[in-house]
Parts: sequence; structure tokens; C-alpha cells
Amino acid sequence: MADELTTPAENTWCPGCGNFGILNAFKKAIPKLEQHGIDRKHLVISAGIGCHGKIFDYVPLSGLYSLHGRSMATVQGIKLGNPDLKVLTFAGDGDAFGEGISHMIFAAKRNADITVIVHNNGTYALTTGQFSPTSGKGFKGPSLPSGNVEEPLNPLSLMLEAGASFVARGYAGRIDHLADLIVEAVLHEGFSYIDVLQPSVVFNNTYKEYNALVEIIEKPAGRLEDAVQLAKRFDRLPIGVLYKVSKPVYHKELYGKWNPAVNRLMHEERKRRIATYLSERLQK
Amino acid sequence: MAGGLQGCKTFFINGGYGIKPMNDDVFTYLIGGKAGQGTKKAGIVAANFFSALKRNVFQMNDYPSLIRGGHNFSLVSTATRKIYSQYMKADLAVLLDQRSYTIHRDHLTENGVLVYDSTAVKQGQGIGLPIASLAKNYADPDLIVGVTGIAVLAAVVGADRAKLDTLIQKEYRRSAEDNLKFAHEIYDEAEKKITQRFELREGKETHPILAGAETIGLGASAAGLDLYFAYPMTPSTPILHFLAAQAKQLGVVTVQPENEIAVANMAIGAAFTGARSMVGTSGGGFCLMQEAFSLAGMVEALVVFFLGQRPGPSTGVPTYSEQGELLFSLYPGQGEFPRIVASPGSIEEAFYVAAELLDLAWRFQTPAILLSEKHLTESSMNVDLDIEKIRAAAPDMHTSGIYQRYRQTETGVSPLLFPPSDAMIKWNSYEHDEQGYTSEEADVIARMHVKRRTKQESLIRYLREKVQTVNEYGTGDPCVFTFGSTTMSVREAVLHAGLSCTVVQPIYLQPFPSWNLMKYVGRKAVVVEQNCTGQLEQLLREKTGITPISSIRQFNGRPFNPVDLAEQLRKVIG
Repeated sequence: MADELTTPAENTWCPGCGNFGILNAFKKAIPKLEQHGIDRKHLVISAGIGCHGKIFDYVPLSGLYSLHGRSMATVQGIKLGNPDLKVLTFAGDGDAFGEGISHMIFAAKRNADITVIVHNNGTYALTTGQFSPTSGKGFKGPSLPSGNVEEPLNPLSLMLEAGASFVARGYAGRIDHLADLIVEAVLHEGFSYIDVLQPSVVFNNTYKEYNALVEIIEKPAGRLEDAVQLAKRFDRLPIGVLYKVSKPVYHKELYGKWNPAVNRLMHEERKRRIATYLSERLQK
Repeated sequence: MAGGLQGCKTFFINGGYGIKPMNDDVFTYLIGGKAGQGTKKAGIVAANFFSALKRNVFQMNDYPSLIRGGHNFSLVSTATRKIYSQYMKADLAVLLDQRSYTIHRDHLTENGVLVYDSTAVKQGQGIGLPIASLAKNYADPDLIVGVTGIAVLAAVVGADRAKLDTLIQKEYRRSAEDNLKFAHEIYDEAEKKITQRFELREGKETHPILAGAETIGLGASAAGLDLYFAYPMTPSTPILHFLAAQAKQLGVVTVQPENEIAVANMAIGAAFTGARSMVGTSGGGFCLMQEAFSLAGMVEALVVFFLGQRPGPSTGVPTYSEQGELLFSLYPGQGEFPRIVASPGSIEEAFYVAAELLDLAWRFQTPAILLSEKHLTESSMNVDLDIEKIRAAAPDMHTSGIYQRYRQTETGVSPLLFPPSDAMIKWNSYEHDEQGYTSEEADVIARMHVKRRTKQESLIRYLREKVQTVNEYGTGDPCVFTFGSTTMSVREAVLHAGLSCTVVQPIYLQPFPSWNLMKYVGRKAVVVEQNCTGQLEQLLREKTGITPISSIRQFNGRPFNPVDLAEQLRKVIG
């Protein structure tokens, strides 16, 4: 449906793809964020490479369409450059937990003030359905026709253990609920991770399974251990905020109230300071 | 040299006084010992001592990749004229352990003085002082020996005890009292035993002694550096350390991410906000950055990459020097886009080149590489920096109308805009249209290729018209082509031997400044470089047709010794 948040880019996702749910939830989140005082021009996005990444072209926000697995590093750089910006990146499960897993763990570890939304469809869809880091054992794809021989990663418990200060799970089939999660994640100061259960209609159609298993939780777990327990449940799939804690954020720990892009020293001031440094060196 | 007094005066205590027959007044001090014995510090103190005499210095530190033990040495050469290299033979060598003694006992000039630790070395030639056994009476015997070098130097150059005290109080502030007491013991022992002294003539002016890592950091800062990203890797690490230490003073933020891939991608993200960003790495780390380098080319990000060379391939020899990555540096990253590569020919020039590359990256919105070596980044010399020469381009900013990140312009350079902005700013790693949306349309792909090629042409035009891309020193044939830190070795060799030749140093290597080099075609040419396969020679031949009659290459990880290099050059010159 065309609205003011529609771009001229042609949408090329498969009809019925879970990505539509995520796009629509994000579009609903934008005006809600504005109600919270985060205007559109301060909201900057990034994306990795894969089906999910096309979302970059489908919303008219500023941002940097990054490489496969690197968008978490990209948005950390954007945040470090200008901490007034609210940065958010979309990533696929291959992006976040295959190619870019180190960036995910370190972003969580240092509590970088960024939001990462992983479109977790358990497959490399754009490259025609190979198994991914979150594919279940036995998942069949063209690179392993007899079935995946590896156990899947659990992104939620991994992020919790790595130190993420906000961990949530959403479902592409529950758009309003996901929109609220996105708002809460962006508002949270610190590393916010949202794992989105995303059916791939062609390669991993999980609508039926997810519709039966998801269960909204109203309140985050109070203790990390309980959140990890929630993340490891498979009889039901809890969606909502699993864990949320307030911790010092990376850029403030690094340089306090400084803003490199805004407070940058002017040329004359730089020259003066370098001259001072050189004369001090000479006296030493 | 006629007149004699141009040279060092040498006193023979038990044989009257004579003038050392040197054709120059270079004096070289060598201190060797185990890692942890403070040889590098002793080198720095010696350099400061010479500098206080208004003499020029060049200091090189040689150390293996370890923290304690091993064999470290520092060489400091000083002259009243400008000096561009360390000399490998010392006028005074202070050797603190057996290994140093074994390695360096013959590294002496004709009248050179050798002082060694007689506790560690049995039956040595030269002057043995019981350094380690004297040190045993102090709280930290391993650390205290570091001051030996300066005490011996003071005795050998005839500095009195008061001068020595001032120096130690200034330079060895930690446990100064112990250091003073120990230095006196060494000084007195040395006074008794040395048979020869050197008088160092005062020079005319003095400038601060800086390492290449410092001049690079300062130059980048002068041109507007806001953020420096790096993962530790020799020999780029000293830049990270310098900028981290001076962060507040210079208004620079330093960031150490999880790996080089994060380094490069974060820097590109930071550039997106209008913060001037630079990364530092060495060959292995730069390999990991290839994909991001190409991303910078595609999104037209303005990032400078410092590439510090050490002997490769692979992990190679981490703490030594080589120029084996020249050809590698010319075409990093997949795909076609403008790249800029420049390599400074001296520690001083590194200041200007670092600043200029930041400026060029911002003018042309494309990644630039500052190519250097361990020898330049970690060696020190006196530098006279003119801050007024630094240009810092105000980037070409969007002013009015609909904003398009990749707008077509005559120069291929699209105006910039940074967030937060009412206009949408999309940088895109996919091929994109003017607005920044992904595109697979045939005409868009071709159009954007032409845009990037146009930018390359504008860059070349700018370099031709506005930038000094080649240095030339001296006159006459042959033309000695060289680049990077080897330029310092060549210039020192020429000075040392009084050779007549033209030293030609391309500062810019990509785009290659053929327009400034074609005039040398047909002249007798020699190429001097620090690699095995002759990469500068290949590049020269390919781009200009210049074919040298001789190549001088050294590829043992060590920078050239100017004396040996002069010898080789003389053979060619005939």
C-alpha cells in the first residue's frame, strides 16, 4: 500500500514474504518514534546483503546500504561519528550470525547504542535457499541436499550472554506488536537486539508453525538467567522483550559528551594546538 | 675533508690530540641489550642530548617481536647538517649483554669506542665496565642498567657530571635518585678507563625530534582528522598510540574495534556523518579491509587508509621494514573506482602527505592510501614543520534544490550532505541511481561507471595542476629513482659520499605521475628499493618506459646502511 513512506523503488520480495510484515511494522514505528521526539531526519538506517536488505530501498530514510555481515559495524561508525543520530540496522541471519557474528558479539559486549533487527528466516533466501546459521538440523537446501548436519545457533541466548542490554523477539506475522518492539528498541539507550521470526514463503515457510507457537510475554525477565531460559524455550516461542537493563553506553564511555561530527575543531584551532604540541616537544 | 674541523675532533688522552679524519661530522651512537633493558629509551635520551647541542639526529630502533629478552638496539646518528639515516657503524657502542656484544663488536668506525658489560661478557675487546654487578646493589637491577648508555655517552663526549645530572633528572624521573647514583658510578668507571673522547661541535638550530608515526598523526590532525580507527598491528600501532595519547589536545577520537573489518567499516560509517576518518593497519590487516575499501569506492566515502609495510608475505617479520606492498597498494578492492596512493619520502614529508591525502579523499570522495614502512613510522629525526602549508578542503556541499547523493556533475564529484538533514541521503554499496536507490538498469550501470571514471580524470587533472607529485634532489646523471623511506637512505648515501646524481622520488604512486616523469626518459637510470622483485622498477617501466641500467635492492628487513648504499651507487656512477 502506497503511503508517504513509500519510495519509488520496486518491491521485489516474493508475495507473502515475512519481510513485508517487518517493513510494515517499521513504517508503523516511524511516526510512533516521532511522537517520542525522534524525528525522521535523526533516524539513520543500514542493512546487510540478502532479501532483508532490500528494505533499505523501500523506506525514504537516510542511511548506508552496507556489505554482507558488516552493517552492525557501519552503524556503530555512524553512531561514533555523530551520537545525536539514532541508528538502526536490518540484517539477515546469515549477515548477523554467519559473516558478521564478531561484530554482533562485540556490539553487544561494548553496549554500542544501536538497534539491530535480524530478519531470521533460517535460510539464505536470496542465494536460493542454502542452510544458514539458524537453520535447524536436517534443513534441506541446494548446498546440502541431504539436510543440514549442524545444530542451529540460538541468537537470543547468544546476544544475552554477550551483554546485550535489550533483547526482544518479534514475529513478522504480528505487525503491531513488532512495531512497538522496534519503538522500544530504538528508544532504549544501548545495544538493542530484535530477533524477528520471518517465514520465507519459498524456502522456509514457517507461518503455520509460528502461528501455533508464538506467545506474547508482557514483561521482560528480571534476571539474565531467566531471560536465557525464555530464549531457550521451544515448546512455545515467547515474543516480546525478553530482557532489558540499563548500562553505560559505548560512545559515552569512550568520549563523554563529545560529538566528533558536530564539535569538530576548526582549522585555525587545530593549527594552534599542533603548534603548541610542537613547541612542547622542543622544550622537552 | 680539507680543513679538518668540519669533522669530529678526537682526543687521544694518552697520545696527544688529533683530528679524526672524517669527511663529515656524523657521530653515531649505538646501544644494544635485551628487551626490557631500556635501549630504546637510552636512544631517545641520547637523541635529546645531541639535539640540545643544536645538532640534527636520526634514530632507528631495531627490535624483534617479543617483550622481554631477545636483542634490541637503538642507533642514533647525529650531525650538524641535516641527517636522513642512521649509520650502522658506531663511534660509540654501549653493549649491555653478551648477544649484543657478539653481534655488534665489529660495528665500529675506525676510532670507535666499544663499552660492554664485563659481568656479562668474558674476555671482551674494548672497555669493560662491571655494569650488571654494580646494578645488583639497586632495587631494580634490570631497569637501572638503562641509564648506563647515557652515563657512558656523557663521559665519552666530555660532558661534565653536572650536565649528566641535569639530563638524568629530566629524562629518568622515575626513581631519579637511584638512577643518578648508578649513573655516577658508571660515569666514574668510564672516566677512568676510556682512552678516547669525541668533541661534538654545536649546530646552528634545533627542531623537535619526532617519529614518523607522530608526523603522520599530526598531519592528519592538521587536515581535520576527527576519528582514527585501528586494530593493533606493527608498524601502524605507534600512530594509534600517539593519537590516543594526544586525543584531547588534537580533538581526535581513537577507536580500537574487534578486527580490521570492523575498523574499515566503522570508518566508512563515521565518514557518512561528516566526521573525517582514517584507519591504520599493515599488510595482513589491509587484506581484511579489501571489501570495505571497495565499499568506500562505491559509496564514495572519504576515508584515508594508512598502510605500514613490514616484510611479508603473510605474517612475515612483524617488527622490520620492507617495501613489498607497493604493487598491492595500487589496486586494492574489487571493481573499478578511483584510488589514491602516496608514500612520503621522509619523516617530515609524512606530515604533509598525511594532510594532503585527507584533503584529497575529501575533495574527490574516494579512499586514499598512505603507504609507508616500519622504517619511517618508527624512526625519529628533527623535523621543521610548517603548519601554514596544510590545506583542508571544505568539502563540496549541497546548497539548494533536490538533493541527490550521486548527482552527475562535470567533475564526477557529487555535492555532499550529512545527516541529520531533511533531505534523504542514501549511500549505497549496490550499483545505484543518482538518488542512491539500488539499480540493475543497463543505462544506470554504465552512467555510474562513467561518473567514477570522470572523477578519476578530475583527480588526475588536480594532481597535475595543484599537487607536488614527484620530488627531485640534486643534479646530473644518473637519475636514482626511489620511493618511501628508502628516499632517506638514498639522500643520506648521496650526502655521505658526495655523489653527483639526481634523486627522483615519486610521492604519488596512484594515479602514477607519469606527466612529471617522462622528462627522465632516455637518461641513465638506477632504481633503489627495499624489496626483492623490483616493484618500483616494474611500475616505472610500465608507466613511462624508463628502464634502469642497474637496480639496487635490499630485502633483509633492514633499511639500507648509507655507507654500503653509497658504495653500490658509486659502482654504478663509475
